[in-house]
Amino acid sequence: MSRKIYGESVQGASHIRSGVVCQDSYKQVQVSDDVALIAVADGHGSASCPHSKTGSKIATNVFCRIMEDLLHNFSEDMDFFMTYLNREGEVKVAQAIDAEWKKRVWEAHLKNKREKPLDENGEVDKSAVYKQYGTTLLGLMITPTFIFAFQLGDGDILFVNTTEIQPVIEGDKILGTETHSLCKMDAWKKAITMIRKRDVSEDVPYLYLLSTDGFSNSYKSEADFHVTCRDYFNLIQEHGFETVASNLKDWLKETSELGCGDDITVLMAYYTEESTNVPSADTSDEGGNADEQS
Amino acid sequence: MAEKMKRPGGELASRPLHFFWIVDCSGSMYGEKIGTVNHAIQSVIPDMVDAASNNPNAQLMIRTLQFSTGASWVTANPVPVEDFAWDDLQAGGVTDLGQAFELLSAQLTIPPMSDRALPPVLVLLSDGQPTDDYKKSLDKLLHLPWGKKAVRIAISIGQDADDTVLTEFTGNRELVLQANNAAMLTKMIKWASTAASMVSAPASHVLEDKKPVGIPLLPDGGDLLPASVPATGGGNAPLVLDMNNIPNPDDVGEGDVW
Repeated sequence: MSRKIYGESVQGASHIRSGVVCQDSYKQVQVSDDVALIAVADGHGSASCPHSKTGSKIATNVFCRIMEDLLHNFSEDMDFFMTYLNREGEVKVAQAIDAEWKKRVWEAHLKNKREKPLDENGEVDKSAVYKQYGTTLLGLMITPTFIFAFQLGDGDILFVNTTEIQPVIEGDKILGTETHSLCKMDAWKKAITMIRKRDVSEDVPYLYLLSTDGFSNSYKSEADFHVTCRDYFNLIQEHGFETVASNLKDWLKETSELGCGDDITVLMAYYTEESTNVPSADTSDEGGNADEQS
Repeated sequence: MAEKMKRPGGELASRPLHFFWIVDCSGSMYGEKIGTVNHAIQSVIPDMVDAASNNPNAQLMIRTLQFSTGASWVTANPVPVEDFAWDDLQAGGVTDLGQAFELLSAQLTIPPMSDRALPPVLVLLSDGQPTDDYKKSLDKLLHLPWGKKAVRIAISIGQDADDTVLTEFTGNRELVLQANNAAMLTKMIKWASTAASMVSAPASHVLEDKKPVGIPLLPDGGDLLPASVPATGGGNAPLVLDMNNIPNPDDVGEGDVW
């Protein structure tokens, strides 16, 4: 079986008009031949979150780092690891991600010598600092025996194969432009996780597709969004992964222009029988540049 | 080199943004008040068209609802802002605000509202006190998913307007704009009309767990929202507005005070 992973982030049409950089980030880590980590994050981009690009970058880094550490710790017993994630995914894992994100955000804030807002008692208000970096986070760990999905905030994680298209995880559907965010205190309480055993006989090809909400919001309906994901899958089958990967950026730009105007990130992990060259087949691939080290 | 391909996928669409003018046409609005409303709204439409053209990724749709003795749609269906024309309203009758809320509720239900729309903007203009039992209808409106998420602005016309009712509608005292003469009413209508462009800005907002800090309560410290409206989400949508630009109601300028 061959695994191919590729992602793109594009600056939203509205952000191009207003000169705001793309606030999305993505990251992939191909841990081994059969384990991969993929993550996308959508920085809020509102006036109260001026550093959300950095926030999204940190978020994808943190997801991959924490999952890699857990993989290392549980490498001897993947069944036990799956049990652990099933039991602790929404608590301990979510807490670890939340805490590490806030720690790194604080460090980035200090490192860049940014102003430290004070609360009404004159103390440094860390919650106000976190808010400046607000972001969502979607992550997926794909192992030979199970997948683990993590979601905090909006966006989509979909599974597509020749017969079905379905959400891997169902996030809260919040109307309008609001979302859960890592920047909130106790953000981990809003995280949802899902663990699903993989059937070793699972028929390839299939596709995992992570996307920020700018993608789905650009379509007239959820049905049109799903049609699109199905089309991507079919095109990969017909024309090859490389062709779709090389066109992805242009397609996403056009999607944003004719759709909701928001930044869009799509990260695809495609599994197939064939073994061909994979674009951006580095063991680690990161999308977007934050405005500082994170 | 890889082959250049046409973008696949379903139908793309900008996100609809529904803007509602909700106008009190009761007898007390007769004369200069309704005349100013007619003139001011008509004059802000070109500005709204301009603002909307700067953001083609949001589709601004406008509707007008009037209430006096009963309530009715002036524009029954949403009209794209570029096609919108203001029909002058006439004043006369009582103030059946509750009936207006009923009509609004029917339109803010999903469907006909889409769940991928941007938060709707509701601008209520009134100079008096409701003559019907509006509370139940307001409660219903504020319990709708889009009712809760809507950006709700009220323009309180003259000194007889019942600001408590208007504050119950907005959920936020700062969003009850005082207009005590024609010049101020025109300014407030203009400010309210800019809400559309602020709502359509492509940014996410953090979902707050509790009422936003710093929003003034009633003088007695009571809760502005009807008791049955959850504290969460009740006042979230106005956070997208830049309230620093609200015209100062004390700056009455020229003209008689109503």
